[in-house]
Amino acid sequence: MNSAHERRLIHRFDFNAMGCPCALQLEADAEVAARAAAAAQAEVDRLDRKYSHYRDDSLVAQIGASADAGESIVVDTETADLLDFSATLHAQSGGRFDITSGALTRLWDLQNVRIPDAAAIERARACCGWDRVEWKRPHLRLGVKGMRLDLGGVVKEYAADRAAQVCRDVGIVHGIVDLGGDLAVVGAHPDGSPWLAGIKSPRATSRAFAQIELHAGGLATSGDYERAVIVDGRRYSHIVDPASGIPVESFSSVSVVADSCLVAGAASTLGMLLGLRAGHDWLLGLGLPFLCIDADGNASGTLAGARDEGRGTRDE
Amino acid sequence: MRRHLSPSLAALMSAATTLVPEAHAQTATGADTESLVSYRFNEYDEDAFAPRPVIGSAERYGVISQQFQLATPVGTDAALSASATHEVMSGSSPWYVVQGPNHQPIQVMSGATIRDHRSAVSASWTQGTGSSGGTTYSASYSAERDYHATAVGIERSIPLSAALTLGVGGSFSHDLIDPVDAQLYDRVQHGQKNTASLFGSLAWIIDRSSVLQTGIQINSEHGFLSDPYKLVTVGDGTIHDLRPGQRDQMAWLVRYRHAFSRPDASLHLDFRYAQDSWGVTSQTLEAAWYQPLPARWQLVPALRYYSQHEARFYAPFFSDPAAHNFFTSDYRLGTFGAFSASLNLRKRLGQWEFSGGFERYHGATDYALGGSDAAVPAVVSYTRAFIGLDYLLK
Repeated sequence: MNSAHERRLIHRFDFNAMGCPCALQLEADAEVAARAAAAAQAEVDRLDRKYSHYRDDSLVAQIGASADAGESIVVDTETADLLDFSATLHAQSGGRFDITSGALTRLWDLQNVRIPDAAAIERARACCGWDRVEWKRPHLRLGVKGMRLDLGGVVKEYAADRAAQVCRDVGIVHGIVDLGGDLAVVGAHPDGSPWLAGIKSPRATSRAFAQIELHAGGLATSGDYERAVIVDGRRYSHIVDPASGIPVESFSSVSVVADSCLVAGAASTLGMLLGLRAGHDWLLGLGLPFLCIDADGNASGTLAGARDEGRGTRDE
Repeated sequence: MRRHLSPSLAALMSAATTLVPEAHAQTATGADTESLVSYRFNEYDEDAFAPRPVIGSAERYGVISQQFQLATPVGTDAALSASATHEVMSGSSPWYVVQGPNHQPIQVMSGATIRDHRSAVSASWTQGTGSSGGTTYSASYSAERDYHATAVGIERSIPLSAALTLGVGGSFSHDLIDPVDAQLYDRVQHGQKNTASLFGSLAWIIDRSSVLQTGIQINSEHGFLSDPYKLVTVGDGTIHDLRPGQRDQMAWLVRYRHAFSRPDASLHLDFRYAQDSWGVTSQTLEAAWYQPLPARWQLVPALRYYSQHEARFYAPFFSDPAAHNFFTSDYRLGTFGAFSASLNLRKRLGQWEFSGGFERYHGATDYALGGSDAAVPAVVSYTRAFIGLDYLLK
């Protein structure tokens, strides 16, 4: 048996979940890799079923029904932890990050390529506001009829971390999880070298804009290139500011590296929500490595030097 | 990943710990995965009395101290810290006050130059460094020729929510006092003192860059609380410093931390108010600016103001002994205020960290809030300097 046979290959598993293309890259024996991939995919599917706001049988739908009935609902530990985390994000963002913006998110779900009218926006805004929620772990009562949770910016990132942990539990040491651009590292390559994560070019999504080395932890990107539409020549992102009720005009994308994809995702979403100047300053103060790309393709942030193609200048 | 945690990031990571414990086991609470060995050399020099009038040596106290410290994580959820300190003290200390011409108070200093040393060891064990709540147990022992102190303590932090942490703790100290030359100077031969402390605090992460902490501390001392080496002038003679056998103190603390992104720096503001059953009240206000500089330098300028109002039984000298039960002319129980300015510098170089600092403390009776009361001829001013060297073991 020669050494080439002993060397383990990188096994790649592609699947679709949470409305986006996902991939697992695992450096292990084929049989262990297949077992890990099945387990990780099952975990992502479980979280999708539980927290999707597109499904009628999800927990998020049940919570929405409880709001309409004016009742409180007892949630499980995992959901309670997610709600606590979201409450921290709400506090840290001065209310800009709000998981009760589900009604607004649905309104701006621009599949129908139509700008909602002002009255509809006001009606949706009236159904939002974390400060109107009674949250006494594990008892949750959404204070307003029509209020809906939207765990975007939290659940997909959490799912990436969970999938990576499931792989570790099965025995995978080297690998990476990619859920639509949100990455969680299972472990670096066997020789200790990092995974290279490509940040997509916001306007030409097939090209990599920057390469970021990841040894551990996670990388999350919030951006308008994945789920955005152009109506009358204006680009609308999927990130709606609960204060105004309309999508934020911010960076094309914000990427953050952290110890977990969950924290990276929280930071990138907040950076996006805070807008160009305030978002950049807030990320700088936060202390995590980050990369912002504006509508003209200009890069800024501590990872701006990592970009390897595309025009633009460092904003420093 | 080892880095300075901004309050905002600490809040996010702390909130994420329950969801993805594996990723945040080490960093959520800022726990270090590295061991630290450190050494400090500290010099403290009180200003000489001149030009103030004094009887005896005008030179005052000086202390040279050296400290070794070791801190290391144990497993993934605990940490051990131990330190050893050695101090050499020398100089004269204020003894009592006499009335000079025109009723001017004149400080009398201890006749002999004291030369003494103190050795101390302490250790602490923190359980729960990997979670957001933790418990620290500590113990210490300190020995001098005439003073032995043994103390134990416990501290616990309890997260109430993602943004709110409760801290509670208590400590107990048992001290033995065996004054030197007791027979020669008719001093008390043996004394004991017990001190119990309790404290509670609430730390609140206000927003992404500010943390506010407030706390209450209660101390209760019982036993021999007088200073066996000090005398008090009463009428035409002197008697021994005599204080009540109990002292209860309550202190209120407020700490505020604000991180700025431009410039990348943070402001620390601390306030403390204390009052005790002897009538002593004090206020401390401190501001420090932590400024990271390129090439891993850090500069920390700080300013502190302290104001104290005297004990009910303080006076530089007493004319009528019948009017009092207790007597002290110890400057530390008089009315005075002090300003202090310090500058500390740190430089990280690979696994080494060098630090150095300088403090100038200036005390005066006029600096007290509300002006001065009875004269305090021995109000102290001092200069302090230190250098230190830390080594981080991976």
